[in-house]
Amino acid sequence: MERFLDPAVLAGISSLDLLAKTVVDGFVVGLHRSPDFGFSQEFAEYRAYSPGDDLRYVDWNLFARTERCYLKRYRGETSSQLTILLDASNSMQYTSGQLTKMDYARFIAASLFYLAIRNQRDAAGLIVFDDDVREYVRPSTRQGQLMRLLAGLERAEPHARTDYGRPLRHFQALLHRRGIVIVISDFYEEPETIVRTIQPLRFHGNDVVLFHILDPQEVRPDLKGPSILVDLETNQRMEVTSEYARSTYRAKIQAHIEQLGSRTRATGMDYHLLVTNQPLDAALREYLSLRKAGN
Amino acid sequence: MGFLAPWFLAGVAALGIPVFVHLLRKHVTTPRPVSSLMFFERGIQSSTRHHRLRYLLLFALRSTLILLVILAFAQPFVRRAATSTNDRLLLIVLDNSFSMRAETRFAEAKQQALAVLAAKPSAQRAQVIALGGQVEILTQPIIDEAQLRSVLEGIQPGDGHANFGELGRSIRAIVEKTHSPIDLHLFSDMQRTAMPANFADMALPSSVAIVLHDVAKSKVPPNWTIESIRAPAQLSDPKDTKQSRVQAVVAGFDTPEAVKTIELLVNGKPTASRKVNVPASGRATVEFAPIDVGYGFNRCEVRLAGGDAFPQDDAGIFVIRRSDPERVLFVHAASDTRSPLYFSAAFGAIGQSSFILQSVTAEQTTDLDPSKFSFVVLSDAIALPSIFEHALSQYVSKGGGVFIALGTHAGQHQRIPVWGAEVDNTHDYARIGRAARISQIDLTYPALQQEQPSRDNGGWGETKFFYAVSVDPGKSRVAARLNDGTPLLLDKQVGEGHVLLFTSGLENLTNDLPLHPVFVAFIDETARYLSGRERLSGSQLVDSFVQLRSSAAPMSEAASVEVVDPDGRRPLLLSEARTAQTFRLQRAGFYQVRFANGRDSLIAVNPDRRESDLQPIAPDIQQLWSGSNRGNAPVQATVVDDIKYHPVNLWWYVMLFALVVALAETALASRYMGTQREEA
Repeated sequence: MERFLDPAVLAGISSLDLLAKTVVDGFVVGLHRSPDFGFSQEFAEYRAYSPGDDLRYVDWNLFARTERCYLKRYRGETSSQLTILLDASNSMQYTSGQLTKMDYARFIAASLFYLAIRNQRDAAGLIVFDDDVREYVRPSTRQGQLMRLLAGLERAEPHARTDYGRPLRHFQALLHRRGIVIVISDFYEEPETIVRTIQPLRFHGNDVVLFHILDPQEVRPDLKGPSILVDLETNQRMEVTSEYARSTYRAKIQAHIEQLGSRTRATGMDYHLLVTNQPLDAALREYLSLRKAGN
Repeated sequence: MGFLAPWFLAGVAALGIPVFVHLLRKHVTTPRPVSSLMFFERGIQSSTRHHRLRYLLLFALRSTLILLVILAFAQPFVRRAATSTNDRLLLIVLDNSFSMRAETRFAEAKQQALAVLAAKPSAQRAQVIALGGQVEILTQPIIDEAQLRSVLEGIQPGDGHANFGELGRSIRAIVEKTHSPIDLHLFSDMQRTAMPANFADMALPSSVAIVLHDVAKSKVPPNWTIESIRAPAQLSDPKDTKQSRVQAVVAGFDTPEAVKTIELLVNGKPTASRKVNVPASGRATVEFAPIDVGYGFNRCEVRLAGGDAFPQDDAGIFVIRRSDPERVLFVHAASDTRSPLYFSAAFGAIGQSSFILQSVTAEQTTDLDPSKFSFVVLSDAIALPSIFEHALSQYVSKGGGVFIALGTHAGQHQRIPVWGAEVDNTHDYARIGRAARISQIDLTYPALQQEQPSRDNGGWGETKFFYAVSVDPGKSRVAARLNDGTPLLLDKQVGEGHVLLFTSGLENLTNDLPLHPVFVAFIDETARYLSGRERLSGSQLVDSFVQLRSSAAPMSEAASVEVVDPDGRRPLLLSEARTAQTFRLQRAGFYQVRFANGRDSLIAVNPDRRESDLQPIAPDIQQLWSGSNRGNAPVQATVVDDIKYHPVNLWWYVMLFALVVALAETALASRYMGTQREEA
């Protein structure tokens, strides 16, 4: 199954719809062994009637056959709302292979949309931002919502730098209802700033998850020698030694990841580091676990 | 060390190119995009690092390459000492030919040679060669002056005839072996007769510097000599004036007209004396007849009285053997009456009183013993009694001679007795109407030799052959052939003896040879050859060879030969006496020889009379010779006082090294380029 979730394999699929279907179907097939996950409108268990129980839940058919009174319990059907905040800044264009961080983020978002709409019948929406909100697709369960979301993803092309402050003010205005909010970004900002900016979403009762997308070369850069590096967002140039990239940089990025993770978790949000050479199932698994938690 | 073109060294400035590339030029790196520079810091040391020699080896190779190319253009050279005197081989050639006995030539030559040897630097190698009848290399190249002097002093004048062509060949062989330059000093009277027929034979390689020491000083003293002697080798009747006479030719070289007295000595005793008027630088013949000699070998000498500057050549020696007439067996077919007639007539014409011809038919040979005859003639006598044929074979193997003539009877029989082969075919030229003629004849062959052969092949060209038998020559020597290729006269050695096969008859039916005068000469020479008289007595020249035994004789059955030289010594060792096939007569005088077949012989050996002509080589030819190995440059002095140097250009080696460095640079640069591509 993992082959179908491999980003390198998925990169060859041009249609996001097909890609998302491939990912989700493959993912779901791999879930049947897990008893912990279920779906709405599903039978859960029988329980012996006890006085005070709502008679609406008595299985009268069973009572007719057995003259025993049992309650038929279902898993409660919840209507959850998924909103994905996708960072479309220039830094998301970076790649050390064939798959950019933006592509990887698109794949994740598309897969999550597919899973939410087709499988969970959840409302799903999309906010694409960089230094402002560039695209907004209102969360909905209407017919054609998935296509709208995927089209929004297709249109999301990186072309500016990231600024979490401005778009987040709009987020609060756009997100009326509680739900699951997934922020997909490379988070090249101070963790404190990020948490301070995103934290209000959590205060509104959303389950907020940060998907931190990084390229393998960003985690463990390997420079053969002294190199001139160009910032994709600011076009600033800097001459860097390979020794620095091998030692100090790695320590710094690692500290940044750990700090971001700890701070987000400390504020009740969830954090996941996704490296673009990893399969996509981690993100899907995280979504389903959140949904099971009761949203 | 120096430079032939030092101005090219200005190109050293080109070394700045790799210095600029590796040291001064700013390193250019393709910018690499990153998401953010948030966690990066500027690396100050990266820029300084490129200013260091990152590719130290590549820089070194490139600098070396440029330096080498510049050096190659500047043409560096080293001074190498020119071949020093010590590296040159001093070759002392002392002429000890017979002519060096004249006056004090040999003593002067030896003295000069010793002087040159004394002047030799102590470290120089030298070699001593004696030039006589043969070129004798007496030492190896050595520096021991005492040994060289000893060898040089030990050289004695010989009786041989020098040949500068032989000297040239020997020197060329030495040059090929030693590979070192040679200073050749030739001490000789530079006799004109020592010149080879082809001047190229005496030309020397360029590495040989020849210095000619003419001990005769171009003086030509008048010299009379006994040039030749004609005398019978064997004599049976001293009173037979046809045979018993000696003719001597007196020759004068650069002499005025003079009356000379010639004496004939037999066994050391003067027996006759004649006076003869010898024209200026001319020749005169004197004759002594009859000769009074005793039985056995007689040591005879014709001596020129009066003396001159070269008294050693005033006498000529020869040997006359007196014996009773020997019998010759002539076997012919019963029906053949012509061949005995012609053969006996020829015998009578040559006056061979020393032979008695016994003519018998083939059927009458049963009781005859061939060993009692000097030689045997089988004239068309193919069908022999087996007893006689066997005895004849034994006779030949022990040294006897058989002359076989094949007439018309031979065509009726296949096998040729004694010869050991069969008749292949018969040619009846009369039937086809065109007689065969002789197309090829070897006039050096003993039975055919003539002193002055006429143009028509010595008279053989006029003869016609109407009938001949074809025989496979095999290993025999073919002395004459007919124009259709049929061998006419063949000689085969059988054991110690010889068999002559004449493939036509001895009568006038199969050819017209008996009707020609050459027939008489042919029978005369054949009789001399087959009887072995010429071998057993007479005279030879110095350095000629005597055949002691047949080469075909098996070694196990070989009998010892014995040679006693003019001094009474035996020059052959015991082992050589059992194996030697030939012996070189290297001294003048009388040699006593006992051949392997048991026959004794006394051989008179005279020096080559060309040595009596003391005329030297013309000065221009001498100069040509001494300069032939170095163009027209004058003869160089032997001893070089100052060590000379000559530059050895090293540009070729430098370019070769540069090529190697260029290849290494290419390989290394490719490797670095590959690394850079990977990094990019």
